[in-house]
Amino acid sequence: MPILKVDIASKSYPANAETLLVFEKIRFEIGRGEFVCLVGPSGCGKTTLLNILAGLDPRYEGEVLFKGRRVDGCDADRLMIFQELGLFPWLTVRENIAFGLKCKKVPAAKRARICSEYLHMVDLARFQDSYIHEISAGMKQRVALARALAMDPEVLLMDEPFSSLDAQARDLLYEELQRIWGITKKTIVFVTHNVREAVCLGDRILVFSAPPVARLKASFSVGLPRPRTIEANGVIDIVKCVFGELKSEIRKTYDHEFHP
Amino acid sequence: MTTNFIRSRIVPCALFYTALLLGWQVLVVLRIGPSYIFPSPLNVALSLAEGFRDRSFWFGILVSFRRLLTGFSLAIAVGGVLGALLLKSRTFEKTAGSLILGLQTLPSICWFPLALVWFGLSEGSIIFVVVMGSVFSFTMTIHAGLKNIPPIYVNIGRNMGVRGPALLWDVFIPAALPSLLLGLRQSWAFAWRSLLAGELLFNSQGLGFLLNMGRELNDINRVVAVMLVIMAIGVFIDKLVFGRMELAVRTRYGLKPS
Ligand SMILES: Nc1ncnc2c1ncn2[C@@H]1O[C@H](COP(=O)(O)OP(=O)(O)OP(=O)(O)O)[C@@H](O)[C@H]1O
Ligand SMILES: [Mg+2]
Repeated sequence: MPILKVDIASKSYPANAETLLVFEKIRFEIGRGEFVCLVGPSGCGKTTLLNILAGLDPRYEGEVLFKGRRVDGCDADRLMIFQELGLFPWLTVRENIAFGLKCKKVPAAKRARICSEYLHMVDLARFQDSYIHEISAGMKQRVALARALAMDPEVLLMDEPFSSLDAQARDLLYEELQRIWGITKKTIVFVTHNVREAVCLGDRILVFSAPPVARLKASFSVGLPRPRTIEANGVIDIVKCVFGELKSEIRKTYDHEFHP
Repeated sequence: MTTNFIRSRIVPCALFYTALLLGWQVLVVLRIGPSYIFPSPLNVALSLAEGFRDRSFWFGILVSFRRLLTGFSLAIAVGGVLGALLLKSRTFEKTAGSLILGLQTLPSICWFPLALVWFGLSEGSIIFVVVMGSVFSFTMTIHAGLKNIPPIYVNIGRNMGVRGPALLWDVFIPAALPSLLLGLRQSWAFAWRSLLAGELLFNSQGLGFLLNMGRELNDINRVVAVMLVIMAIGVFIDKLVFGRMELAVRTRYGLKPS
């Protein structure tokens, strides 16, 4: 049984008197432990879709099944890592990682053990007592990852998590994310603008078509051995294919915006 | 750092106040008014010392602070609940919101006639005025502070399965803490003003009463001395208590000092 089964007839937002139809006929399944990347032109509804999967937005037509049950509200088993991260500035690195556990009433001793484990996994033990404004952007990224992983969710929903980083920090995190994914066997849905990133990380890549009213346009499987790097030969070939699909969609977006 | 602080803050301040006192003394020497209308710095200083020596000022401060703390705590409790309700319920916000705004614009002294009818010339009516003078301002700033936190924090809390009072306690309040402190500071100022206005009105002991006593005894030195005490307390609380608290929080949150 797939861990996530998505069948959304349509999703729209109310927008001054009218409704804005974001996407329709989005249908796909994600297997347990699969790493799926979503790419698509800006505004096609990737963030919107992740919010639906997380249970943060129930207003859509259709249905999303998580382990066979209809998604109805949030559940700490499907955790989102937002693009803005949203680390709590009033807590230290360690307290941020412990936040969800504390809310789940995990006993203090167990909480401390889990925190230490993930602090080490993301290599931040030295900074555990720093406040969020005292650490670098890449470190923040890793704290957000650790905060989500510490909750031991079955599904991680990641929204362009590496977009604000420089190339070197990103390369390191690609490595790290693949390693962590290898250890923890999480199911990951990963949204990105960066096709290379998608091919480097994903088992499968879903391409959205251009807005308005986006659909799923194509799906690519990536069977390359891991760990992969951005420069690997196989990666570059697949990037070209995906990019071909995406480019025509991006062009449509611009045509639509500039010559409607 | 300390020498820098002395040079940049203490020295200019000392110069300024010396000049002020000198200017004042010059006006006294020029005899712009008789001494029972225009006091001299020396006489005010003597009256100040006398007030503290005969303990009347200490007593006044104590009485005033007891009222202030009682009234302000009540205002915080009630305002906190009202603010949380405004946040929680759209209907309450739409209906009671305008009323609370209206009540907030009402100058606190306008509550006094009502207070006198309800509580008479008593401790109760002054505390009532203090509460009424600050509770609505506190409600509004609390509500605004909680409402304007970045939505991402709320989404993260919800996503992690936090809801209800836990969400308020673990996410809303810490996220809004810098603006909550600002609200606290502002409401404190309202409470302080309401208190003194209330105390002026009858034989109530407290600082406002001391001020009025000075006038009734035609003791202008006493009047100015009490004014200085009131000002000093205001500055002390605002800068040292709230200012310090705010600075500590803003530093921890990585915000610029306001
Ligand atoms: N809360 C909202 N209310 C109304 N419209 C919204 C809201 N959120 C998103 N939209 C609209 O829905 C569409 C899809 O937005 P979304 O943020 O999901 O796009 P995206 O694919 O994540 O884009 P990007 O790659 O730029 O992040 C956009 O046209 C946007 O204007
Ligand atoms: Mg987005």
